[in-house]
Amino acid sequence: MMPLKNAAYFFREAFKSIARNHLLSIATISTIAICILILGMSVLLTMNTSTFLANLESDVEIMAYLEQELDQDSIQEVKDKLESLSGIESITFVSREEALKDMQETLGKKNYDLESTLGKNPLPDSFEIKALDPHDVPQLAVQIGKIPGVYKVNYGKGVVEQLFSTARWVRVVSVVFIILLALGAVFLIATTIRLAIFARRKEIYLMKLIGSTDWFIRWPFFIEGIGLGALGSMVSILILALAYGSLLNRVDTIFFMALVSDFDVLIHLYLGLFGAGVVLGIIGTAISINRFLDV
Amino acid sequence: MLVQFYNVSKIYSNGVKALEDISLKIDAGEFVFLMGPSGAGKSTVIKMLYREENPSRGQIFVASRSLVRMKKRDIPILRRSIGVVFQDFKLLESKTVYENVAFAMEVIGANQRDKKSRVLEVIKLVGLQGKENSFPHELSGGELQRVGIARALTNRPLLLIADEPTGNLDMNTAQEIMELLFDINRKGTTVIMATHALELVKAAHKRVISLDKGKLASDLAPGELK
Repeated sequence: MMPLKNAAYFFREAFKSIARNHLLSIATISTIAICILILGMSVLLTMNTSTFLANLESDVEIMAYLEQELDQDSIQEVKDKLESLSGIESITFVSREEALKDMQETLGKKNYDLESTLGKNPLPDSFEIKALDPHDVPQLAVQIGKIPGVYKVNYGKGVVEQLFSTARWVRVVSVVFIILLALGAVFLIATTIRLAIFARRKEIYLMKLIGSTDWFIRWPFFIEGIGLGALGSMVSILILALAYGSLLNRVDTIFFMALVSDFDVLIHLYLGLFGAGVVLGIIGTAISINRFLDV
Repeated sequence: MLVQFYNVSKIYSNGVKALEDISLKIDAGEFVFLMGPSGAGKSTVIKMLYREENPSRGQIFVASRSLVRMKKRDIPILRRSIGVVFQDFKLLESKTVYENVAFAMEVIGANQRDKKSRVLEVIKLVGLQGKENSFPHELSGGELQRVGIARALTNRPLLLIADEPTGNLDMNTAQEIMELLFDINRKGTTVIMATHALELVKAAHKRVISLDKGKLASDLAPGELK
């Protein structure tokens, strides 16, 4: 651990080094800020897409249409069979009358009598079934289709599978992008620290001869690297918070997609980005310290 | 016995033979000149004393501690008991005289409380009182070397190593620096000084160890060098 009585010295040296190479320091902070900003935007995009997809996924229902003219006992029998399946969250019975009413509402003309136009109600009784895990839907649908009295099963076949593969791709691409950006940031910090070590090589040699311990020599560089990472991430968090905040103020949905606006979630994101800046600083410094600070 | 070399040889990784079978002893309180032409091995001997180099063969003891068997983490402790003075002074240009001297206490994490009084004490000892706030570029060569000596003395070393300390100075200034080193030696610090300056060595009447091509050429007691 850092000896407390020397902390003031370490921070002073780190600050002097940042100030001495101020142009390079500003360049590094800016680049880290850009990296973390893009990282934050990717995470926000991923979070919003994930919420969107999760909502869509949880909306996936199985509709089991029953044969026409089934009596109450037979309907109850179908319901019992449905309830005996595992992985079911809820089962709701929709009578043909309710189904017709829903359809009429969807069409939006309440005074337009669909039943009299069609002559009779063409819709069957049905069950709306929600699965505990949306991924089980295709396999549950097959099982439900085998129940006697069920005439047809519908769950948006194809759409569901596409939804899941899209979600997977969005996640994979984001992760790859974020890793590449992080590598760039680490490289920059490592370069800055290497130059800082180079600028102080005479001083470091003297410190070694006078009897500084290795960690005494390393600490200011770590503080410098961590400081650059932290400053860069703070700049990006500020930009991100202002930009996203003003976006939330204006709209709460984009393309019918509700934006993540939960305060706790956003605070965690910002803290996470700050942590990422610090970690990038530590890794970047560690690379240069071991390679260029021969202590 | 402060320094002991037992059959020390050094062959650098590029194959250069720097030292061959050197054995010598230096007592606490001695003043010893280390002489010899360039490439004789003076620098290697000096670097071994503060463990910048390790011998290829043989044993070295400083204050009864084996430098060959010394663990890496104990090297800083050894170096705190040795002060080093350089031909090119190695002062930090951006720091004042006071800061250059205080640097030696700061970088070993020394107690900050008695820092100021100790720094002012050694600055006075080397005769630079009043120059505490000057920067190196404002000082003469002799003054620069006095700062270097003050820095080397700050942590009260047992051994002061001076590597060609007068090499960049004119004769009069060199003699003043020699007087300062003799004075420090009289107060109890062992001094080992590597030099080319035969005139200074002759006038000093101190022990003289000569190296030639990595071998011990002679080891003369005070007054034996004619």
